[in-house]
Amino acid sequence: MSHSPYLYQRIVAAKLYIDNNFTENIDLEQISRQAYLSRYHFHRLFRRIYKKTPHQYVTSKRMERARTLLTANDLTISEVSAELGFESPASFSNLFRKESGMAPQNYRSTSLRLIQEVKAQPKRFIPHCFINQYQLEA
Amino acid sequence: MITRLSHTTLFVSDQEKAYDFYVNKLGFKVHTDAKMENGSRWLTITPPEQPDLEIVLMPLHGMMKLDDESQKALQILLDKGVMGAGVLTTPDCRATYEELKSKGVVFKSEPKEQFYGIEALITDGCGNWFSMTQPL
Repeated sequence: MSHSPYLYQRIVAAKLYIDNNFTENIDLEQISRQAYLSRYHFHRLFRRIYKKTPHQYVTSKRMERARTLLTANDLTISEVSAELGFESPASFSNLFRKESGMAPQNYRSTSLRLIQEVKAQPKRFIPHCFINQYQLEA
Repeated sequence: MITRLSHTTLFVSDQEKAYDFYVNKLGFKVHTDAKMENGSRWLTITPPEQPDLEIVLMPLHGMMKLDDESQKALQILLDKGVMGAGVLTTPDCRATYEELKSKGVVFKSEPKEQFYGIEALITDGCGNWFSMTQPL
């Protein structure tokens, strides 16, 4: 089902609001206000367009950022949790485990090990045909 | 028996610009980003929901073993932006169109109803264009 371009622009504006504010404690009321729609109407349209509820989308953005923070710097799990706007490290860890299938600390150590391996021996991760075909060796 | 595609190459006129387009604007994930011993950069990305398909962002210069004539021919095609690279799938073509347009992405055509779905044509600014389709 297609909507008017204006309605799309309003839903997209609300989606971009989530993209820019998902680390804050935003709720459906604030998000739907960006689209000038009632919570009910916004929720229904957002889900139809993005195939996720606004809440599921906020969660996916937070988990995506969590994975980046866990591998990109030395923040503690508590700091990552606070950075993402969670009320407690425990609630962050539980959700992360549910979404990613492993605890944040395990995810960090596994990812960092892989990053180190790629850095040390990149050719192990590149199909040999590419190394042959392209100038990937000194 | 062949079962799946694991790697494919996308030739780009500018690797850094391609990174910005695919990762920052389209939301693709970086799979491998490694500096090689000869100074080149091995950069592969994956579509947001296809973590096992690596797309190699291959710069035309510096990495490829190409004769001059082939390199020039490829350069001409990239400069013209005529390399049709494939089809990107979206749950809602019109919403994605509005969002990407607001991020400065250039389209060859707006969303249109086709017999297979709603389709817009998107350019990566590095020589390639894609169909962006919301299947029926």
